[in-house]
Order: sequence, then C-alpha cells, then structure tokens
Amino acid sequence: MKIEFVLNNKSQIIEVDPARRLLDILREDFGLTGVKEGCGEGECGACVVLMDGKAVNSCLVPAGNIVGKSIVTLESFKKTERYKMIESCFLEAGSVQCGFCTPGIVMATESLLNENPNPTEKEIKEGLSGNLCRCTGYNMIFKGIHLAAKRGKGLW
Amino acid sequence: MVDGFRPVTLQETLNIRSQYNCTPIAGGTDLMVQKARGFALKPGFEQPLLFIGHLPELQKIVIKNNQIHIGSGLLLTDLLNSEIIPEIFKEAVRLMASPPSRNLASIGGNICNASPAGDTLPYLYAVDAQLVLKSVAAKRTVPIDKFITGPKQTDLRKDELLTEIIIPNKTFGVNYYKKVGQRKGMSLTKAAFLGLADCENKRITDIRIAFGSVSPKIVRSREIERTIVGKPTFEMITAIPEILAKYALLIRPIDDARSSAVYRKKVSLRLLEDFLRKIDKEK
Amino acid sequence: MRESISKPIQRVDGSAKISGEAKYIGDMHFENMLFAKTLRSSRVKAKIKSIIKPELPEGYFIVDKDDVPGVNRMRTVVSDHPLFAEDNVEYIGQPILLVVGPERETIYDIITHISIVYDDLEPLYTLEEAEVKSSVFTDYHYDKGEPDKAFAVAVTIIEDEYHTGYQEHVYLEPQGMAAEYRDDTMFVYGSMQCPFYAEGALTEALGWDAKRIRVIQTVTGGAFGGKEEFPSLTACQVAVAALKTKRPVTLIYDRDEDIICSTKRHPSIVRYKAALNQNNDVIALDVDVLLDAGAYNGLSPVVLQRAIFSVTGVYNYLHLKVRGRNFMTNNVPSGAYRGFGAPQTIFGTEMLMHNIALKIGVDPLDYKMRHMLRRGDPTCTGGKIRDIVKLPEIITRVTEMSDYRNKVQNNVKYKGIGASLFLHGCGFTGNGEQTIQGKIILKKSGENVILKVSSTEMGQGAETVLRKIVAYSLDLPIEKVLCEAADTGLVPDSGPTVASRTTMIVGGLLRQACLELKEHWDEAEEFEVSRSYKHPDFLNWDNDTFQGDAYPVYSWGANVAEVEIDPVTYEINVKKISAVYDVGMPIDETTLRGQMQGGIVQGVGWATIEVMTTDKGKLIQKNLTDYKVPTSMDIPKIDCEFVSNPYEFGPFGAKCAGELPFVGAPPAVAAAVSNALNVPIYSIPMTPEDLMEMDSHEN
Repeated sequence: MKIEFVLNNKSQIIEVDPARRLLDILREDFGLTGVKEGCGEGECGACVVLMDGKAVNSCLVPAGNIVGKSIVTLESFKKTERYKMIESCFLEAGSVQCGFCTPGIVMATESLLNENPNPTEKEIKEGLSGNLCRCTGYNMIFKGIHLAAKRGKGLW
Repeated sequence: MVDGFRPVTLQETLNIRSQYNCTPIAGGTDLMVQKARGFALKPGFEQPLLFIGHLPELQKIVIKNNQIHIGSGLLLTDLLNSEIIPEIFKEAVRLMASPPSRNLASIGGNICNASPAGDTLPYLYAVDAQLVLKSVAAKRTVPIDKFITGPKQTDLRKDELLTEIIIPNKTFGVNYYKKVGQRKGMSLTKAAFLGLADCENKRITDIRIAFGSVSPKIVRSREIERTIVGKPTFEMITAIPEILAKYALLIRPIDDARSSAVYRKKVSLRLLEDFLRKIDKEK
Repeated sequence: MRESISKPIQRVDGSAKISGEAKYIGDMHFENMLFAKTLRSSRVKAKIKSIIKPELPEGYFIVDKDDVPGVNRMRTVVSDHPLFAEDNVEYIGQPILLVVGPERETIYDIITHISIVYDDLEPLYTLEEAEVKSSVFTDYHYDKGEPDKAFAVAVTIIEDEYHTGYQEHVYLEPQGMAAEYRDDTMFVYGSMQCPFYAEGALTEALGWDAKRIRVIQTVTGGAFGGKEEFPSLTACQVAVAALKTKRPVTLIYDRDEDIICSTKRHPSIVRYKAALNQNNDVIALDVDVLLDAGAYNGLSPVVLQRAIFSVTGVYNYLHLKVRGRNFMTNNVPSGAYRGFGAPQTIFGTEMLMHNIALKIGVDPLDYKMRHMLRRGDPTCTGGKIRDIVKLPEIITRVTEMSDYRNKVQNNVKYKGIGASLFLHGCGFTGNGEQTIQGKIILKKSGENVILKVSSTEMGQGAETVLRKIVAYSLDLPIEKVLCEAADTGLVPDSGPTVASRTTMIVGGLLRQACLELKEHWDEAEEFEVSRSYKHPDFLNWDNDTFQGDAYPVYSWGANVAEVEIDPVTYEINVKKISAVYDVGMPIDETTLRGQMQGGIVQGVGWATIEVMTTDKGKLIQKNLTDYKVPTSMDIPKIDCEFVSNPYEFGPFGAKCAGELPFVGAPPAVAAAVSNALNVPIYSIPMTPEDLMEMDSHEN
C-alpha cells in the first residue's frame, strides 16, 4: 500500500505492507533507532513517538494508520528549544540511568507539556503512566519534568 | 493479492466489507497485540486489513433527542476531552491502559473486542447502550447486551461495521465506579463495579448495577434492579444481605494469571455493599 | 582543594541517552549480518527423540550442539547448563537450537515448521516436591557457638516458616548479543555486566585461547544481575553461529521470550527455630534455607552462600545452626538478581523478629534494637564487625523522619507503619575477591587520564563514579578523565560488575593508582600505572568451613514504610518510605539517590505486585500484561538520607550501595501491612487476594 505521511517535518511516500508496525518503519526503513522496542505489546512505552502531537505506542500503529499523519521522533525533537530544556533538567535531576526508557519518556513529556504546560505532580504521574522505568523509581524523572515545566515558561 | 484497504468514506468501507474477507481495524491496540509475533516482526494477520479509524463518519459526537450519539471511531482520549460524555463514564475510560494507548484506542474497538474485562462495557450495559450496525444494504440497532454474545464473541455480521453507540444524555445522582487492577497504572481489570442511582424524597427512583471481569459477560440484572427501585434509601443497609445473595448467583469468575475466582467474587460483592451503603446515606 | 566528592555532577553518559543517540545492541547493524532466533523446549522434562527439520532455503542455517567446537556448556560457577540441549530438556524454554538467516520472516516460518518428538519424563515442579525427593544441587551448613545446648535450655522455642517468590528483572532493554568472526578473532558485542565472564565462557565453548576472543559491552539498558551470567549463554550461541555461517549473527530476545527463559530471583522457603531466654531475647537460631535453583545450578551456589551469610541480618545471635540447600526443580533456572540471596533471608529474619515482638507484646523496632550488632561483635561466621555500627544514629533519624514512634501506636485499622533494619556485605562473598584478583590500569596521556577497567555502566552510574574518583584524586576536571570501553581487548579484568563491589573495590584500586600516578606525573607524557587487588591481611576466611570474615565490611540501613490498605478491595497503597543509609561516603549524591530510589521501588514491587507463579513447570505470568512492575502511579513518596561513616579502605570512604536499598524495602512494607491489619506476615508478595483471605480469618 502506498502510504503518504510526514516524518520529522518531511513529506514521505513509502510502499509498504499496511500491517507493518510504525516502530519498524522508523527503526529499520528510516534508521531512527532513537525509538526502542521494549515489549512489542504496548506495555512499556519505550516505543512512544508523537503522532499529530500526541504520544502513541508505535509498536501498536500499523502503517495503514499513519496516512496523512505527522510523526515526530526524538531525532527531530532534539533540535528544539523544548528538548534542550528537558535535557538540561533531566541531567540536573538525575532522571536518566540506563537510558532505554528515556526516549519514550522524553516524547511522553513533550506530549504532556504540550497539552498541559503546568502539570501538577498528579498530572505528571498520570501523563507518564504509560512509560515503565526499572532503574530510577520514577521520582527523579518527575523532578526533571517539573523542573522543565517551571523553567520552561513560555516554551509550552 | 490486496494487502489492505483504506477507503475514504463509510459507504466505500461497507462496500468493501460486503465483498471481501478482511479484518476491520481502528486503533489496533487490541489487534496488534493479539497478532504480535516478536521483535522487529510485523503482526501476523491472516486477512487483509480494512482501516476504519480515520473515517470522518465515525468521529462524530452529537446530542439528538436527549441521546448522545458517539461515533465508534472516537478515541478514548476524545471521550475524555468531550464535555458531553458523563463524568462517571470518563472515570472508567481514564483508568484504561495508558495515555499513549488511549491516544490510539477507539470505543468501538473496545466493544467489538468484547473482552469480559472490557472497561467501557459496565457503563454501557448499565445505561442500556444501543449499537448501530451498518452494512451496505441495511442498518440495525441492537442493545449492547444482545450484541455481545460471549467472551470475545459478538453478533457482528461479516458485512457489518459498528458505526455508532447511543447512550442516554443523562447523569445520575449517585455515581460509584471502581476498577480493581493488578496495580494502579496500565493494568487489565481483575474486577470492576459500576453503580448508578437516582433518589427522590429518600426513595430510589432508578438504579443500575453492573459488574465487569467476573463472568463470561458483563453482569447486569434489570430484574434485581426492579426489586430495589421504589425502596427507601435508608433501607439499603438492611437490604444488603438479600441483594448480595441475588447477585452472588450471577457472578461466576475464574482463576487466571491475574487473580482468583474467590477474590473476584468477594471483592465484587464488597463493592456492591459499599455502593448500597453510599445510597443509604443519601439525603 | 575541591568541594566534597559527594556533590553531584551531571552523569557523563546522560546526553547521549536522552537524545536517543546512544546505540544499544538492537540498534546496531553489522555488514552482511544474519538474524538468529532460538527454538526452545515446550516440555518441562523430556528426552528429545527426534528433531524434524524442514528443508532450509539457501542462506539459512540451523545451529545446534553438533556445531559447538569446544564444550557445550555455559561456563559459570557450576557449568551445567548446555548451550544447546543434548539428549534431554529440563525446563520449558530451554534452548535447543538457533535458526539463522537473512530475513526474520523466513526464520519465523522455519521455526514454526520444526517439530520435535519428545518422550516425557517425570519432572519436579515445586520446592516442596524437590525437598521430598532430595533433589539437591548444593548443601551448605555452618554453626556458631553451641546451638544444641542453647536450645536445650531455652525458655521458649518459636518456629516459623517464610516464603518469597520469583522476581523477573524486566530490564527495559531485552537480552541481546551479536558475534562477528574476522581477523582470526571472535568479536562478541552485547548487553552485559561482565565481559570477562563471557570471554571465559567463549574460551570453553570454542576451545580457543582468550587471545582470539574479544568481548565488547554495548550500552546496556538495565541489568540488575539479569545480565551477569546469563549473557555467557547467548554469547557462546551467537559465536558458534558466526563461526558456522561465516557471517555476523545477531540475537535479540522478544520480551515474552526473555521473561520465560532468562534467569530469575530464587524463590525461597526459610524455616526458623528461635530459642528465647527468660527475657524473651533470641539466644539461638536454627535456620534452614531452601532455594529453588530451577533446572540448572549455574551460579546458585554463590547465591546460596550470600543467603546463608546474611541470615542473621543486623543481629548478634550467640548461637547459630545454619543450613542452606539449592534444590533442583524443572523450572526456569534461577540466577543473579540484586541482593543475590540476601533479600530472601533478611526478609525472613526481619519478619521473624517482628512476629516474635508481636507475640510478646513489644514494639518490633525496640525488640530488634535489643539484638543489634556493635563494633567488636563476631559475625555469624565468626568474623568480626571491625567498624563502628551506626544503626542507633540511623534509627533515630529514620524514626524522626517518619514519626514512627507516634504513628505505630495509632492502631487505626487499614493504616500501618513498619520498620526494617538491614545490611549488605560489600564485595564478593568469602574468597571471591582474592580469586578474581581484579586489576586496573590508569594511563596518563598528555593532559588526559584514561581509566582501563572492565567495570560496566548499566545505568547505575559506574562510569560517572569511577571517573569522578580519579578526577578528584588527581584534581583534574572530569572532562580530562576518560574511560576506555569495556572491551576485553583493551582493558584488564577488574572483576565483574556485581556484588556492589565496583565503587569500593575497583574505585579503591583506581584511587591507589592515582596516588602513584600523581607522584610520577611530570616524568613523562604517556605512562601507565596498574594495580591488582590485595586482600587486607587482617581478614581471614576459610571457604571449607565457612568461618571468618565473609565480607570485609558492611553497609547498613533502616527503612520505615507507611501503607494504607483499601478496606473494600485490600489493595495495598504504599504511601511513603523513609530511608537512612550508611554507605560510608556518597561519591555522587544524585547517582546514589538514583540507586536508592530505584532499589526501593524494585523492593516494593517484589513485596506487593510482582506476582510470578508456576503451574506444572509453566510460568503463569509470561508477558508484561500479566507480570506487573511498578508504574509511575504505584510508587511511594521516598525520603532518603545518608549518615557519614567513611570506610578506611574505600575510595574517599565509600562502601557498597547498589543492592542495599533493595534489601530493606520488602520487610519494611511487610511490617507495615502487618501493623495495618494486625496479622503476622509470612510470605511475599502480599496480594489483595492474600490479604482478604488473611483478614477474613481474623474476623
């Protein structure tokens, strides 16, 4: 099936089996290995990317569903001011350990702050409830997000 | 061999549905997991996919004749953002899966998947939701408890598509929902309880009770509800043993990887009791 | 002079990870590479009668026991696990062969068309069955004092039995390994904790000298012990495949596959007999530790050792009789997991003390404090507590933070508070460090200093901490201190990254080397200094009798947990954990806090929602839908502080830290649940199902 979509702000047309997972299209066809496969069943959030600005589990998205959509991955998001704020706050707060959950968490954070620039702690927890982290115990991730929301006034 | 269909209109979709063996897919959050085959592999669908999640006709949500018409393609996130959807229904939706999954999953998908643990189902059963099923030639409206015939089984015909869910535009005075999961976030349901009631002058004028995940189908009994309607609210506590005993006969849970039949039954009845106590305190 | 080394810096590998640029093994491509997938046993215990393979398309291979040039065994403490099954299979999921080829779809297809004819044999499903049948891998025992006499004169004897369950690591990055044979060398890349363990295993499997083998750790997405010995298996498998196919081979596990077949925490049954004197003090303890090692022994003997050497926790019991056994059952093999046997016995002992206190009507924390070790006391194996024990200060602080003394008297049903006291032996058990003889090299290169160590960064912050130790020792900015890759061709064997030894032992060697480097700094532009581990003279250990100093030093801690139990559903809400630790000296407070919080949350998970059970050799919870680890919604508030207690032989006073926080959380949560419902707790995980059952009996 011919699939037309926008990837990291660039128009793309690909010929692909419409059942192929967006996760594999990104990682294998476009070499965007910033997206990770942690479980393949929508239970860990390591594969989260933005689809029309919202966080989605790319392991659950078949190619047929990305037609006309705008997909944003970390590879392009990392060039933005918002990313730089998230990165510096994450580094300060100790939000990263092994790093495997981190790309999904960064994208989920962008999705959350995009919708809600001033989240409460409860809203941060709920917004991140689709992302597993086994290393940090989460608190330092919340701290990083809270810091980014506070210091990033005007960015979101 | 066609690898998939991505029609532009609902009419086109129904045409395809009537002509080909294909698998309708909206968000894919159930189907993509069911057919997953492992690291870096595409899922193993046996039939070409029929993509319906994008169809504009399935995205509407309107109030008509004091009923809310919900397009089957509406995302769970859209339901949460809608001002029309009753808050108690949103409570159930809010606890489903996770935010990135809710941004993909459709209400129609949850219904047609017909899992006994489906989280939209207790509310839809409790408010007598009607389902609109369309095919090329026909349209029929079926109550949800007739549509779902068993675990993962529905009355959906080979050429049909669920297009709309109709619920009353109504909120209740007493609202009670509890999902018991394996943990607080991102969890399947071990047992779910929904209780709705209206009271006037300390009498119960309307009561709906539904249990999820504790039987092959959602448990609701209009018969038992009718015996409660008309009773004074302050009699609820004394009525508890009798009402619980009646529901105990209908609740038939199983042991599985997530919980035990004993617990599921006990917790369901405890939640029912808690709901009845809540009514008892109603002014 | 710089500020305190504890002051946090930004971790050195952070940016690469946050930006998604860090490459894990699943992200890596090798030219001409082939994919591999494992065909596994579907039977619990059976003889393989025949394997019927379809005709293979061009370019596809089957790799099995006949392709192993050396020994078909995974080398570890006990090398009993076959790389590829031979005549028998002993657990569901045991690897039988690899299918290797250029297209994953085709590999999947081939695997589904391989059929195996089995002759089922009689399996052992449970620890209880194994005990009846004496299916024992290892049997250890040691005594202290005169336990028989003590029991003879005891005023009261209490008998209890405690159970703990499986735990799966759920490192976010599944197991992955790749091998490439070129330039007469086998290069193996992958997610792992111990490159030299893999190297050793490869020398046996290939029958080659280590000079022809190079193991390179790739960025590792979490491990927690699950990538300590297990990667030796996959490393050998892909190496054999690379040799056969003459192309690079990559093997990445599916999550379900990882859950079913990779090593898990040992389930345990610990039986206690406590002899109490007229004051109700415990004067003698008779402990029988039973661990379920699963189908193969592997490194379980060392887990068993730590379990039995931790059995007295922070307490000084005059007389001891300790037995520990590893049992063989036809379940997935158990292996290394954060805590490594200590969590099982410390849970048991903490709950024993807690339950005795309840029986005699004393506050559990007060009762525990009556038995605490002090400097100069003998350890359970007749060694010595040589350093000051800061438990009194730790307890004062943690009870202040949590308001324990007031809350514990509240007696509000469904709300509870409970405390745990615990320790962790730093470094390898017994002779381990002497056997490994860990070595480090420090190289001056112009303005820069390069660390050559085999310690691996897996998220815990090892690279940051070790570089910081060197930077502070030499008064250099961290940017001038670099770390060589964990590549067996480039670094010496500093020992494995396990046992909470990296900061104290490897960091300690680096610090010593720095002092020498500093002395000779101006003498040349480029030179190297090396150091090997030297066991302190004052430590004694007899590995045959298990007598002496099992560990050179201990880290200590106390936790107070507060829980609320839903009165209708019995769901446990762990509201808060207050924690105070003595780890000597924090080398980086942010990194350390990260370990403490992560360890606490894993401990809370093991005690509450991480249910993993088997039924006739089958894992019931075999994917992330059914096996639940804590999400952001499930975590308690955590308040964490440290007391300073610099260790003379640790770099800047540092001791061990990585496993300690895991050990303390489960007994604290269990004590709090016990307080909330007024019932004794004997097993974890504590599920709503269990609690509802327990509470109904009380009513």
